[in-house]
Amino acid sequence: MTTFSYILRDTGRLLIRHWFLGLLTLLTTSVMVWILGLTTLFSLNVRHQLSRLESELVVQPYLKKGAEVEKVAEKIRAMPAVLSLKPLSPEDSLAKLQSRMGSQSRALSLMGTNPLPWNFEVRVRSAREVEPLVRTLMGMEEIDDVVYAGMVVQRVASLSRVTSRAAVVMFVIAILVTSLVVYNTIHISLYSRREEIAIMYLVGATRSYISTPFVLEGTFLALLGSLMAVGGIALAYLPGIRILQENLPFLSLLENPRVIGQFCLLLVGFGATLGWVCSCIVVMRFMSSTIRPD
Amino acid sequence: MKIKFSGVSKVFEPGIVALRDIHLQIDKGEFVYVVGATGSGKSTLLKLITREMIPTRGSVFVNDVNLRKMRAVDIPYYRRDVGLVAQDFRLIPHLTVFENVAFVMEAMAVPPRMVEYRASKVIEQVGLWRRRFMRPPQLSGGEQQRVAIARALANSPSLFVADEPTGNLDFRTAADVMKILLSINAAGVTVVMTTHNQYIVDSCRQRVIELSEGKLVRDEQLGRYTLDDNF
Ligand SMILES: Nc1ncnc2c1ncn2[C@@H]1O[C@H](COP(=O)(O)OP(=O)(O)OP(=O)(O)O)[C@@H](O)[C@H]1O
Ligand SMILES: [Mg+2]
Repeated sequence: MTTFSYILRDTGRLLIRHWFLGLLTLLTTSVMVWILGLTTLFSLNVRHQLSRLESELVVQPYLKKGAEVEKVAEKIRAMPAVLSLKPLSPEDSLAKLQSRMGSQSRALSLMGTNPLPWNFEVRVRSAREVEPLVRTLMGMEEIDDVVYAGMVVQRVASLSRVTSRAAVVMFVIAILVTSLVVYNTIHISLYSRREEIAIMYLVGATRSYISTPFVLEGTFLALLGSLMAVGGIALAYLPGIRILQENLPFLSLLENPRVIGQFCLLLVGFGATLGWVCSCIVVMRFMSSTIRPD
Repeated sequence: MKIKFSGVSKVFEPGIVALRDIHLQIDKGEFVYVVGATGSGKSTLLKLITREMIPTRGSVFVNDVNLRKMRAVDIPYYRRDVGLVAQDFRLIPHLTVFENVAFVMEAMAVPPRMVEYRASKVIEQVGLWRRRFMRPPQLSGGEQQRVAIARALANSPSLFVADEPTGNLDFRTAADVMKILLSINAAGVTVVMTTHNQYIVDSCRQRVIELSEGKLVRDEQLGRYTLDDNF
């Protein structure tokens, strides 16, 4: 316990000694984590939007007169893209149409015989599968026509692919840049104290006692940087979605404070872990070359 | 602590032979002077004891443990039991005298009050009490040397290894340091020190080991600084 307070004192000394370098590390880390956070949030939102749209993905094939309803239904149900299928008889369809048309529905009853064919309400697994499914259905001879509203969903789906990829790329960049900066800072810190490290080891300090302040220095910088980034995200994201929602009320955005809080916690954990791992690696490498006996 | 050199040679990179086939035993509680011309290998001998260096051939044993085979995790614990005064002092420049003495104990998790007490005591012992908040670059060579001595004493080591601990000191201060070393030796601590100081060796007679070009040429109980001394 007492040793730990000595170690904390030394960590403080290291931070003060290289305060400018520390500041640079802090800023770089926080900018990286900030960009990473916002990119990921954006991509998560797009994906959220997509899953909402996908849950309403319906393709509606209309059968030719005289087609065998049960057989065709079986065939379509067996397709992998199909989530569920609900057959609608001409009467069902008419009732649905009437309920949708409200006061004008009496016009329909004037038509006498029901002109609507049998049709299916087919739910599709994902937006990507809509287009191929429609093509297959069109190719079936029992089917007259297919009605679907897939374009928007497909746009959103391809946007989601792009944003997911951007988030992954940003993740890699954040790891690389943050590691590099932390590694360098700690290396300079170690290098400026190599004499002291050798002396401490010579008179009986353990490796862990000597290295812990350096590891803590790196971890602390990355942790503080991530905390700053999370603060910045709160400043940018929360007002941002409020404005979006006022103007585009049909969008469904991630705004659950618990989810966002967990996301921020994850970001801080990510930053701190990265700082810790990098400092450990650089310290281990440096120590073993500094204290090797001649 | 008991030290044994068995057929130890140390050769440096370009082929400089610093020590040549040294056989030597130092028993617990002995006081040993290591003498010899400059470059004869005295510092190298001490660095082999502290495991700053590993022999090129042969082995050094401390309490029957081969230092070459000592596990890395055990080295710090071994060194805490060795009080070391290096020829170039090896003080940490940005720490005060007090902190330089204290940090080894801190690294050993000694409670702060004990650290305070022990550090104060040894700093006083070497006569640097009034300089305790100064940093090594502000001190004279002799003062730095005494900081190194204080640091080596702080742990109450059972082996004291000193490379010219009186090298930068005037006659009186050197005598004070010798008094300290003789008193810890009287308390059972093994002391190995190198010196060029003929007066000290001849007045406090102890075992003398002489090196010449890396060879052990003399090992004499209650010896003098030089062999053929007729005074
Ligand atoms: N790290 C090293 N690399 C190469 N050569 C070395 C190294 N250390 C010592 N030597 C050489 O080994 C020889 C013995 O050196 P050492 O320091 O042991 O002498 P010494 O007896 O302590 O001398 P002095 O009385 O001047 O302190 C010298 O020739 C020196 O140049
Ligand atoms: Mg020497």
